[in-house]
Amino acid sequence: MYKIRIHGRGGQGAKKAAKMIGLAAFKMGKQVQDFALYGAERRGAPVMSFVRINDDPILERGYVDDPDVVLVLDRTLLDLVNVADGLSENGVLLVNSEHKPDIDTPAEVKNVDATSIALDTIGKPIFNTTMLGALAKFTNIISIDALNWAIEEELSKYPQKLIEANKTAVRKCYEVAK
Amino acid sequence: MKQTLVTGNEAAAWGARLVRAKYIPNFPITPQTECIETLARWSADGELPGTYFDRMESEHSVMSAAVGAAAVGSRVFTATSSQGLLLMHEVLYIAAGMRLPIVMATISRGLSAPVTLWSDHNDFLDQRDSGWLMFHAENNQEVLDMVLQAYRIAEDPRVLLPAMVNMDGYVLSFTDEPIIIPSPGQVEEFLPKYAPAHTIAKNRPVTVGPPVLEEYSIFRAQNHVASRNALNVIEEVQDDFEKIFGRRYHLVDEFMLEDAELVLVTQGSMSTTAKAAILEMRDEGIKVGLLRLRIIRPWPNEAVAGALKDAKAIAVIDRNVAPGKGGIMFPEIIETLYNLDRLPLVSGFVVGLGGNPQTESKVKEITHKLMDDLAAGRPRMEWNDLEEI
Repeated sequence: MYKIRIHGRGGQGAKKAAKMIGLAAFKMGKQVQDFALYGAERRGAPVMSFVRINDDPILERGYVDDPDVVLVLDRTLLDLVNVADGLSENGVLLVNSEHKPDIDTPAEVKNVDATSIALDTIGKPIFNTTMLGALAKFTNIISIDALNWAIEEELSKYPQKLIEANKTAVRKCYEVAK
Repeated sequence: MKQTLVTGNEAAAWGARLVRAKYIPNFPITPQTECIETLARWSADGELPGTYFDRMESEHSVMSAAVGAAAVGSRVFTATSSQGLLLMHEVLYIAAGMRLPIVMATISRGLSAPVTLWSDHNDFLDQRDSGWLMFHAENNQEVLDMVLQAYRIAEDPRVLLPAMVNMDGYVLSFTDEPIIIPSPGQVEEFLPKYAPAHTIAKNRPVTVGPPVLEEYSIFRAQNHVASRNALNVIEEVQDDFEKIFGRRYHLVDEFMLEDAELVLVTQGSMSTTAKAAILEMRDEGIKVGLLRLRIIRPWPNEAVAGALKDAKAIAVIDRNVAPGKGGIMFPEIIETLYNLDRLPLVSGFVVGLGGNPQTESKVKEITHKLMDDLAAGRPRMEWNDLEEI
């Protein structure tokens, strides 16, 4: 089973990001489970969301306390939340940041400036979808094709222009992430 | 079969849509909100033809309106959580006493104070003696299937009682899972149009819920008998359900019980994690199994006793608490076992209040405590999540 935990702030789309990862993996024929956890639903408060992906039906629920990958949408959370909690040396910690943050963890720390990519391509700081490009790059769990499908599915109520901009941002993030 | 990714809230909404509920009075509350939002969207998009989606000013009004609509013969659906369910409490007895087959999804959330948005089962179990049928789902597929079955059972002339379908807040309500959404044709075959024998009509005035004197006890007895009748009806509908949908449910959910010496008794979504832990413990040679309570009222006495009769030790895991007593289901299980020839040891554990996560390691911890209890010949009743209280 593959487990992902996403840290963000209320309003940044952590829940939506988990849903899109779930949809993409589901499209690829996997069993999935995605969910968000929050206390009071207010903008700016730290929130978490989770995705489990498996070949067989998933017999596990609730918090992911031993993730394979952690996504941090907002680097200001690094001082507030122990985002590396439960990560092992095989894990990946991916932070939306211009610089590689200094984090005490056995996992591999990666960074990508998803905010700048989002501002350049979408014109708005929509970095939750953008960051998924880097996730596709660093893991084999979801493909860019499946992500594109998930974006179209999840944003189907929005104008086509916005959908295309999100897809471009994801592709660009995939290309620059290293 | 094609699967679709939906949350527990959406699964309940699909249930209401597929049964062609005529009237959906509602008032939003976390974590039920998304169920009502989904129905609101469908209603606005014209996807619920013939359904009156009625926004109201409180849950007390919601259940009162549900009673009125059901009394004139409409199929009614609603959903609520936590404080909202408590606010309905008074009217729940009226719905049951008037024998109105309303179906309501309850999305469990702990009760205030202090305020929590996360799940435990006190809100649901607080309605235990209201006369409603009470079902508790483990996953999103079961949420949808239970809503379909709840209408069929509730509307059966031998039953005619309202039914609650419970799911755990967040862990199911906000969790996407792949489920099979049946076609409208399949559901219509399983659940025909609601045609009650007795309703209030313009040209046929009747009184429902009148003041009575010595007859009162007869009405209460009939409510009880109707609820007991539902046990047979629940089993009867499974053949049709399986024939049409390819899935079958039992009065209780038994998991690896054949040779189990230790049995964990659970309810709701924590059962899934417990099953995963049991699979791992089985690999270590521990003979442990699980009994999941899915029908709370009517109480499936024989099914529960039958499933537990060969156990050496039982851990009743309650995600609720009756302060001053302990877990709510703990004494119900002990009472059910009382007439067995050989009594197993029964320990009780209160866990997961206000959404406190129930991980595999906690399930294993409980199992090991149960083994200690069996060795010592001494049961316990404790809060597993806390070191001391």
